[in-house]
Amino acid sequence: MRSREDLTEEINKAMKEIQVKVLSGDFSMLDIELAPIFETLKKSITVRNIDNSSSIYNDAFQLLVQKYEELKTLINQLDRKESFFIFLKSKPEDSDILQLLEGCWIKTFDIQTLSFDFLTTSQEKLSIGHITQPPIKHLNKVETNQNFLLEVPKFKFSEKITNFFESIKDKLPCAFNEIFEEEKDQIKIYEQFVYILHLLQMGKIKYQKETKFLYL
Amino acid sequence: MNELTILMHLLSEKINNVQIGATKEEIIKKLNLYGKNESVYFHNLITHLSSYIEPLGLQIRFNPLSSRWYIAFETTASEFVSANPFENKPRLAATIFCVLICCLKDMGRAKIQDIKEIRRKKHVIEDLKELEKLGYLELEEDLGIVSLTPLIGYQLDLNMLLVKLALKIKDQK
Repeated sequence: MRSREDLTEEINKAMKEIQVKVLSGDFSMLDIELAPIFETLKKSITVRNIDNSSSIYNDAFQLLVQKYEELKTLINQLDRKESFFIFLKSKPEDSDILQLLEGCWIKTFDIQTLSFDFLTTSQEKLSIGHITQPPIKHLNKVETNQNFLLEVPKFKFSEKITNFFESIKDKLPCAFNEIFEEEKDQIKIYEQFVYILHLLQMGKIKYQKETKFLYL
Repeated sequence: MNELTILMHLLSEKINNVQIGATKEEIIKKLNLYGKNESVYFHNLITHLSSYIEPLGLQIRFNPLSSRWYIAFETTASEFVSANPFENKPRLAATIFCVLICCLKDMGRAKIQDIKEIRRKKHVIEDLKELEKLGYLELEEDLGIVSLTPLIGYQLDLNMLLVKLALKIKDQK
């Protein structure tokens, strides 16, 4: 199997041959297919030969430009001399004309019912379909010694509730205030209050309104 | 509704049996574009819409016979949806080709006599009348003149046809 370097050399050689033949008048650029050169070049590119490939690509592109210029000249000449009649004067069969037309047909896209109202309604329907609930994901815990402005919590919220529940369950039943009496930090009190609300909602603890007591 | 939606509507609108899409001037007016950069803005919009509809197998094209921009199926998709309007009528396809070549020579009009001489078939007038019914041309029999409507410019890639024709003539030489 040939290596990619071999392919690059091969393309280089093929392009030089093309240039020599075109300059000597043996061939016109319009007789030469350049697509295979670009295809091979695409396959041959590696990190190691990128500089060389880039230079070859540049040369191949110059050949493409040359071919395009020749085509332009040819069409201009034909146009000036009304040479398109040459083909018709050669008495082509219907099948020859059809072959020429093959691949040139276009299918238009026209819809009379594509009104503004229809588009607006379609757009709204599409928008409805695209609204999805954002997924809630727990953050990954990251071990680091650095301090960030936004620190990743050490425990998941559910773990914090469980830990809090473990710490208070031996006290129960007790008055609501007793839970917080040892804590002086207002933020901590608020945090623990939130945990209690969640525990009540989860049914892990119960609250008697009349006596203001919490119990299991 | 944004500009691309309006542009999509303008370019896909069928005005009558032989006209589709919109001219650059109509688009500029409808989108209320003004100022010295209106042409740049117009071309940017065309490019954006083109890349937007490309995944749908559609492309924006320009009909040189009517100077209108319009939307068509991409070439490979055109083959899939059978774009050739003369699929079962090869005779008509050959005649419209002759009319097209004759009209290119003379600003969209041609002498019926010239077409007869080139086509060298007995049924040329019949074909021309049928093509007129289909909306491809207008026949002025009393003046002996035929003129193309813009319809064939929407259904045939004239640039590609001329390139193929040029290469064919080159090969014949």
